[in-house]
Amino acid sequence: MSKQTQEAAAKPPKAPLSIEPRYIVWLVGTLTGICLVVSLLLGVVNQVTKPRIDAIQKAKMEAAMAQVFPADEYIAWEGSLPSHVSALYLARSGGADAGWVAETSTSGSQGIIKMMVGVDLEGKVTGVSVVKHSETPNIGTKVVDDQSVLERFTGMSHADGEITVNSGSNRFDGVSGATYSSKGVAAGVNAALAAVGELS
Amino acid sequence: MNIGKQLKEGLLTQNPVLVQLLGMCSTLAITTTVANGIGMGLSVTIILTLSNIFISLLRKVIPAQVRIAAYIVVIAGFVTMVDLLLQAFFPDIAESLGVFIPLIVVNCIILARAESFASKNRPLAAAVDGICQGMGYTLVLVIMSAIRELLGAGTLNGVRMFPAEYAVQMLALPVGGFLTLGFLIALFQWAQSKAGKGGK
Repeated sequence: MSKQTQEAAAKPPKAPLSIEPRYIVWLVGTLTGICLVVSLLLGVVNQVTKPRIDAIQKAKMEAAMAQVFPADEYIAWEGSLPSHVSALYLARSGGADAGWVAETSTSGSQGIIKMMVGVDLEGKVTGVSVVKHSETPNIGTKVVDDQSVLERFTGMSHADGEITVNSGSNRFDGVSGATYSSKGVAAGVNAALAAVGELS
Repeated sequence: MNIGKQLKEGLLTQNPVLVQLLGMCSTLAITTTVANGIGMGLSVTIILTLSNIFISLLRKVIPAQVRIAAYIVVIAGFVTMVDLLLQAFFPDIAESLGVFIPLIVVNCIILARAESFASKNRPLAAAVDGICQGMGYTLVLVIMSAIRELLGAGTLNGVRMFPAEYAVQMLALPVGGFLTLGFLIALFQWAQSKAGKGGK
């Protein structure tokens, strides 16, 4: 293949590069035409798929919320939110406030880790669920996909200061070999606790 | 058109990974589990076949001077559409392939086949080329990921083969990817030169 393509590449282009206006218009016109057709198709596909994708996303978020803090209803919190917290919901059960669910986005080892963190009215973590991540399979996933690791956060609070990985008094035992993923998850829990702490 | 020859080229003599050394980035990054290897291989095969057909259809319309730009627009448009459709109608598949699909846009196998084959051949031949080259890519990914998953994590397609304590985690890390690929290429070259001598 290499020899053949090299020859093809070395060959001068069919039409010599002229500055004839008609030729330039033709080049620009063809490329614009292709872009227009592709954009049009993309628009159509987006129109068709957007409602379904939104519904699937919403169902996934709701399932994660119900997992970290089961409640009758979740009311989105209006107001400024600290960094790394993209949304905050007040969980209500039987007409009374029961706790909070925070949606956090923090950096892991390969990208953003998006998760839901449930916090009760005493400021203790009730559950953690990772909604979206791009951690390395078999390494980072030992943290973000393993519910038994995420459950280690349950019951932790900011009463003893920020949660730190593998050190300090408020210690979260991470997974060896997956330090950045462990730190990313811990940062999300810290952000959620901080957001709830500011409100109460 | 010669399907047998194209198939042999795709799988062996012109294998996109072992001989053309294309798409190294995705090959090294995702071959940590067999499921990933199969998923990425199939996604690339499907998109490669579709983009080959379209570029072959458009080969007389696209001016030589702007062909690369036109190919990229067509390929990126395709990948985005496939991504949206998967997310809307096959959320489970989209979930497991979500990380790889955007990577396909910049997978040089697709651009290389568009430039060196699809732009010079009829749509049917281009489709066969897409399938054969995609199969060659998938084959290498599956072999590599089987080696790395078995030795690196002690599992094969998620089934535990031996206790994790005996696994060499290095093989699951990027350095293991380079080593595995290097050994595979060397083995393949050796086998090819041996087969060549035997034939003469």
